[in-house]
Formats: sequence, structure tokens, C-alpha cells
Amino acid sequence: MSPSSIAAIVPILCVTAAGLAAMLAEAFRAPGEKMPIGGLGLIGLVGAAVSAALLWGRHATGFGLVAADTFGLFFVMILVVIGVMTMLLSPSLVEREGLPEGEYYALTLFALAGMMLMAMATDLLVIFLALEVMSLAVYVLTALRRDAEASVEGAFKYFILGGFSSAFFLYGLAFVYGLTHTTRLDRVGAALADASAAHPTFALLALGLLLVGFGFKVSAVPFHMWTPDAYEGAPTIVAGFMSTGVKAAAFAALVRVITVAFPSLHALWYPVLWGLAAVTMILGTVVGVAQTSLKRMLAYSSIAHAGYLLVGLAASNDTGRGAILFYLLAYGVTNLAAFGLIGLLATDDRANDDLPSMAGLSNRHPALAAVFSVLLLSLGGIPPTAGFVGKWYIFSAAIRSGDYGLAIIGVLTSVVSIFFYLRVIVMMYMAEPGDAPRSPEPSPAAVFTLAAALAAIFYLGILPTRVIDLAAHSIGSLF
Amino acid sequence: MVSIIVFLPLAGALLLLLIENHDGRRDAVVRWTALGASLAVFAATLLLWSRFDPTRADFQFVERHPWIPAFGVQYFVGVDGISLFLLVLTGFLTPLALLSSWESVRDKVKEFAAFMLALESAMLGVFVSLDLFLFYIFWDAMLVPMYFLIGIWGYDRRIYAAVKFILYTAVGSVLMLLAIIGLAWMHNSITGGGHSFDLLKLYDLHLPPQLEFWFFLAFTLAFAIKVPLFPFHTWLPDAHVEAPTAGSVILAGVLLKMGTYGLVRFAFPLFPTAAAFFAPWLAVLAIVGIIYGALVAMVQPDMKKLVAYSSVSHLGFVVLGICALNLQGLQGSVYQMLNHGVSTGGLFLIVGMLSDRRHTRQIAAFGGLKAVTPRLVAAFMLITLASIGLPGTNGFVGEFLILLGVFRWDPRMAAFAATGVILSAVYMLWMFQRVNYGPVVHEENRALPDLTRRERWVIVPVVAMAIFMGVFPGVFLKPMQPSVERFLQRMSHPSVARAVEAPSPNPADAAWRGAAASGARVKH
Repeated sequence: MSPSSIAAIVPILCVTAAGLAAMLAEAFRAPGEKMPIGGLGLIGLVGAAVSAALLWGRHATGFGLVAADTFGLFFVMILVVIGVMTMLLSPSLVEREGLPEGEYYALTLFALAGMMLMAMATDLLVIFLALEVMSLAVYVLTALRRDAEASVEGAFKYFILGGFSSAFFLYGLAFVYGLTHTTRLDRVGAALADASAAHPTFALLALGLLLVGFGFKVSAVPFHMWTPDAYEGAPTIVAGFMSTGVKAAAFAALVRVITVAFPSLHALWYPVLWGLAAVTMILGTVVGVAQTSLKRMLAYSSIAHAGYLLVGLAASNDTGRGAILFYLLAYGVTNLAAFGLIGLLATDDRANDDLPSMAGLSNRHPALAAVFSVLLLSLGGIPPTAGFVGKWYIFSAAIRSGDYGLAIIGVLTSVVSIFFYLRVIVMMYMAEPGDAPRSPEPSPAAVFTLAAALAAIFYLGILPTRVIDLAAHSIGSLF
Repeated sequence: MVSIIVFLPLAGALLLLLIENHDGRRDAVVRWTALGASLAVFAATLLLWSRFDPTRADFQFVERHPWIPAFGVQYFVGVDGISLFLLVLTGFLTPLALLSSWESVRDKVKEFAAFMLALESAMLGVFVSLDLFLFYIFWDAMLVPMYFLIGIWGYDRRIYAAVKFILYTAVGSVLMLLAIIGLAWMHNSITGGGHSFDLLKLYDLHLPPQLEFWFFLAFTLAFAIKVPLFPFHTWLPDAHVEAPTAGSVILAGVLLKMGTYGLVRFAFPLFPTAAAFFAPWLAVLAIVGIIYGALVAMVQPDMKKLVAYSSVSHLGFVVLGICALNLQGLQGSVYQMLNHGVSTGGLFLIVGMLSDRRHTRQIAAFGGLKAVTPRLVAAFMLITLASIGLPGTNGFVGEFLILLGVFRWDPRMAAFAATGVILSAVYMLWMFQRVNYGPVVHEENRALPDLTRRERWVIVPVVAMAIFMGVFPGVFLKPMQPSVERFLQRMSHPSVARAVEAPSPNPADAAWRGAAASGARVKH
């Protein structure tokens, strides 16, 4: 066990330690005692960020299974951003929804540790391990409102379907091992480059099964069924965390698997990804139009966004992979802030998370309504926001590889998505105020988070150069 | 200089947001601040005009900075003779629009003014952008404030109109977005110089013909929806009718010009072969629009809707003039863009004043206003005549030049288009007659107040401008000419299949132009 092996996993260790500390704190907390457990999480996340920054460019590998390459570290940074936003938004939301504090923070941190491991893993088995660490924590987080039927139902669906998908993944892993006698991605890639001609059927089977597993985690159509129910049932902040963190981690692993292990099978997976991307974009937006619950609407929107990300992957060029990194950061910040904001609108006795209760929000909470509008416009890809640059980047990748078909489907579905994002704005600004009560004032930490998210959205939308360069640079380490 | 003009309104909008305005207690401060900001912008555009060198065809006041090097995106702005006056027009109409809403907008005054100023920034940005990425940002960003202006301060069906407006325009623009990205990549694969959105570099690009056709169609669809060219016009009557007066003025005065400006600046010169191929088809659509718009306008019971359909007809002339691809046609088109901004903007202002008084825009609700509000009717008449294109007013010069240009291209088209001139006289004068002449049939109309002092400040500049532009067209046509000639040179690229008639150096052209200009003067 060389020191550099340990160094490579320091970011994950930091977050895991914070999770353990959160558990301990909960164990020693006197009943009713207020304890800033989220603070422990913040410390761990800052530690992860600092260690990731120090590891940047050193190409440390851990045990031959984990790589602290720039690609992985960029994802660690995205996950740190998502984690920090979650920690800052949590206190007021956790209290309002009556979630058990200690469990909530510990599980969130463990899930983050799993996500980071997933982003850095270079071995299929470790990816599976990380997937399970992440998933188990998120299943429990979804079910955290034990007394709410929707929460239990959503979690159960998520768990059952997630279990299936894990099995698919494992089965695919077995085929890969059978074909190549290894689970290390680079060796798989080398072996397949030689042998794929001999066993195209098994290679296809292995790839297909792995893609099913990933498809569930990124909620690509037709593996998306759990998404709306799980998001609707989960506590709002957990839904935000799931929709961004799980998606980022799953895409990190998916990009790595596809580009490192299966580049030789491009002809096989390209049409599959093409179809997945097209169907996912279309179904996500079209069904999104019919939703009246904001959480379900954002669930379908997150399905559609998975479709855009798949476009970047299907483009199979550097631009596309760089675009995925940028897009996940932009989408992560925006979507998490949107869920957090919906959570902040809840009052003690009602959730206020459907369209009618948005009516007249601009009168009750002008600032929140304005922020929400910006978030929605960014999700819809209207300039000058982060979402626009992200979409630009993705479609630029598709066009670079001559994929006009996917690009056209992409832009047209994003117009459809603008329609349902606008419906919320219509309710907030143009409809007659309904009977929804005034929500409590958001806490300073939540205000700070929303303000920072807003600043980030405009920064990424107007001056994206630094982040784009960083993303493009990170991609270089993948081979 | 250009950047200051573009971002000054936005700065004004942000300044407004800082003003505490609980329950509208400081509405007056907000209104005056917004007006001051927009007047400052107007002054700045005039200053730009005074420093503009009318003999040069290149872009002037150019600012160029790298912005997103990874994409090859620059912050690249500049002004030429075509965009110069559109800037001035934007600067001219925005304060008038703000002033016209002085009393009719009482709710959320601060937000209203902020959106108006933000919209102005985006519009100015569209006209000066010479980088396609930058252009697209302004083009799309403009939708948001307009959407809010229609949706919050509009009339009864405002939400439907606002959503229809944004979706229609967005469908067109996203396909253009793909074409823009495609162009940038083609620049890379053809020249090997990385991908670039620099308009001047892309002008020199020779695309494979098939790609050029598709790109041209994508660009033209976006612009045709914005113009709006028949049959893409259906969003316009809804948006116009439901928008508040200030919104209609800006929409008709400036926003629609972005479509025709886009054709002149981007779609035609970027894809000359495709443009030459499709120009006759576009011209046919334009003529259908001219006649159809006029006929539909004729039967409208609602004044605002009538003016909206008249815009479809008038903008058809502009597109037709562009398709003619010769000096008169194009110069007439650019001039007609300005005219339409002034006269249709003026008509919407008048309709807004009438509807402020009676809270209806039905023609049948009026009648005999001549005796009640003589000053208002006098202004109404002058603007109506300008809109019809009576010699001595601005409309005459533009339509005359366009018809001249089209006649030289294809006399049949000119013949059909000319019926539009007659029809426009029919529907405008008929409306004018029903509203203003005859006995006062509705008792409510007897006590209508005439123009207030504020309204005089709104309408007198418009009338004065309409007459000034009709009498001294040379002031505007001369600085335009070098840029228009440059455009025609680009279009007459050797690969262009259809021979474009001798573009600029032909002395006969100048003679024609002079005749047109002096003709206007003589007839006055």
C-alpha cells in the first residue's frame, strides 16, 4: 500500500470521515439538543475540495482501481458543489419536513462518498461497489419521511427497480469478465480491441446489460419509470440531491466505461446511445408538459436533461465529453437550487409544490419568484444563463460529429421544455393570486446558497471560458 | 462607444431595481429615471450618428475582444450604414413608449420600466453584433423581457399571446442556432482556422451547396417568423393585440425589423447562392403577405388588430425589396424599416391613446371624433397618411424605391405588390373615416379629452419625424448607400447562379435614386 495510493482516495476519505462523524454526533446527541451536524459535512466537503485541488494534474492512482485523474477530480468538484449546496439548504428544510437529522446528514455524506468513488473508479467491480454505496444511501434518503405514503411508495419503487438495475449491471460485468478475464477498464478496452471480432454477440450482451444498469441510474427512457414517483415522494431536498448527484456520478462512470473500455465497439453502442438520447429527450419533455406537480415536472425535466447529456456522449468526441462535464455542473447548480427553492416554499401544513400554489408568488415573495424564474430559464436554455452555454456546448459536439438529427431533436424538445418552464413563470407573475399562504422567510444560509447559485448561473452563462477550458483539459486524462 | 450604447439601458434597468418602491410610492421617481436613461441612450445614438463616417462601407466603431476562446467566440460589435439608423430608431422609440405608458401602467411600474430598458439593451445588441454567438445571445435574450411585458401588462388574453409569441420565435431561432454552430464547424473544416463565429470571416466562406441551402433555410425560417412573413405571421396579431401600448410600439417599431435586418445582415450575404435561388420564392411569399395582410386588415373591427395586420402587409414590402437584390430595392427596404417603425409605432401610440380614453379598441365604438378631439385627430391623420405612403411623408420614399427596385427585377411582381399600396389606402382611410368622421354616435365620446401635454410630447416627435423623413430622405439614404453597395457586392459573388443586375457602379442607379429622392421633394 503505497502512500500515493492513499493520496488518490483522500477526497473520498474526507467525506466518509465526515459521514462517520455525523453518525457519532447523532449517537451522542442528547434528545432535543441542537447540533450543527451539517457543519461537519461542510468541513468534510471542504477537505475533499482542497485535496482534489492538490491532487489536480498529478495523475495519482490508488491500488490500480481508483484514478485521481483530472476527469475524476472534476467530477469530485461538481459533487462537492452539489454537496455544499445541499448542506447549506438542508437545515431549514430538514426541520420543516421533520426529517431525522443525524441519519439525514450521515446518509447524504455516505452517498456523496459513493458518488466520488464512482467518478474515480477505473475498475468495473469498484464502480459496482460505489454504485451500491451510493444507491443504498439514496434509497433510505428517499424513504426518510417514514409516515408519508408517497415517500415510502417512491422509495420502494426506486429500491426494487434499482435492485434490478444493479443485477443487470452485475450480469453485464460478468460477461465482460468472461470475455476479457479482467474488470479493469483499460485492460478490458485493450482486450476488446483484439477479441471483439471473435465474440460480437457476447460483447453486445455485456455492453447492453451495462447500459441498462447505467440507464436506470441516469434515468434514461425506457428505464425512467421510478424517477417521477421517487422525486415526488422523496423529501424535496433529497429529490434535488438525487437528481443532480446521482446523475453526475452515473454519467462520470458511464463516460469512463464507454470511452476507456468500449471505444472499439463504437459501431455497436453508437446507435443504442443515439436511440436512448432521442427517446429520452422526447419523452422527458412531452410528458413533462402534462405535469402539475412541480416536483414531477422537474423529474421529467431531469429525464430530458439526461437525454441531452446522452447526446454529448453519443457524439463521441472530445467536445461532447467536455460538454458533459460543463453541462452537469450547470445543471447540477440550477436543478438543486430549484428543488431547494421549492422546498423553501413549503409551509408547516402544506407542501405548496404544485402549479396552482405558485399563483401570485411574485406578490408574496418577489425575490424568490425572480430567482425561480432565472433557474427555470436556465433549465430551458435561454441566454445568458449557464443552461444556454451547456446546451450550446452539447449541440456543438453533436454537430461536430455530423449528428444533425440528434441536434434537431434536441433543440426542438428544448423549445417544448421552455413551454412547461414558462407555465410556472406564468403562474408566478401573470395568474391571479391563489389561496397559497406566505411561506416562512428562508434562512440566511439558504439565501446565501440561492444567491451563490444565481451568481454561478450568470457566471457560467456570461464568462464560461475558465470552466470550459478546465472541462476540456480534464477530458484529456481519460485515455 | 457602441458597447456603452448597448449596455446603458441595462445599467438603467439595474439602477431601477435598486430603487425601493413599496406599494408604488416612488412610481414617479421610477418613471423619470427610466425616461432619463432612455433619453440618454437616444442622445448617445445621435452622437454615434454624428460621428459616423457616411462615405465608408466598412463597419465602424468596431470593438473586438476574445470572449470564449475555446469556442472561437468573440465580443465583436460594430456599426455600418444599415444598422446605424436601426439603432437611432430604437433609441427614438423607447422613450416614447415609456412616455406613452406613463398613466396606463400603474401596476409594478418599476418592473415594467426595467423590462423595457432590458429589452432595449437586447435590441441594440442584436443590431450591433458581428459575432454570431453574441448575436444569438441578444436575439434570444430579447424574448424574455418581451414575454414578461406582454404577459404581465397586457390585455385579457395576454398569457396565451405571450406564450405563443415566445414559442413561435423560439422554434425558429433554435434551428438557426444549429445552423450557426454548423457554420462555425464548417469554418474549421474548410479553412482549418479553428471554429469561428466572426461574421466577416464567415462572409468569405464557400460552403458546399447542399449545406448552404439548409443553413439558409434555417436562418431564413428564424427571420421569417420574426418579420413575420406569410404564412408564419399568426403569432403577430395575438401578440400585438394583447400587448400593452408600449409593448406594441416596440414590437412593431423595432422587433419586427430584426427579422428583415437578419435577412440583410446574415441570411443573404452568408449564403449568397442559396439566397439567389430562394429569393423569388421569398418574394412570392412576401407578395402574398402584402395582399393577404391588407385584405385581412380591411375587415378587422379592432383597430389594434387592423394595425397589426397592416404590419404584415408593410413588412412584406420590405422583404420584397430585399429579394430584388438591387440598389433601389434594398435601399428602399432599409428605409422602409425605419418608416414602418415610425409610422406604425405612431399608429399604435394613437390607438393606445384612444383605448386609454374609452377602454375599447373597437372601431364601432368611435365615430365623429373630429369634432371632439381635433388635435388628436390631426395627428392621427398625419400618421395615417404616412402609413399609406402619401408623397411628402416617409412611407412614400420607401415604397417607391422598393417598387422601383422590384420593377427592374420582375415587373409582374411589382404589379402585384403595387395593389398592396392601393389596398393600404383603402383599409387605413376607411378606418380613419369610421373613427373620426360622421356624427358622434356614442354619448360617451362627446366628452373625450383632447391630447394632454404628455401625449403631445409623445406624438409630435413621431409626426415630425414622419414628415422629416419624407422631405429629406437623403439625410438617411446617403450614409446607408456605401453599406448597401457593399452588401450587393457580396451577393454578386461569382458563384451566384442568377446574374444580379449591375449592382453599384452603374451611374443609372444613382440617377434613379436621385430621381426618387427629389421626386418626393417636388411632390411635397
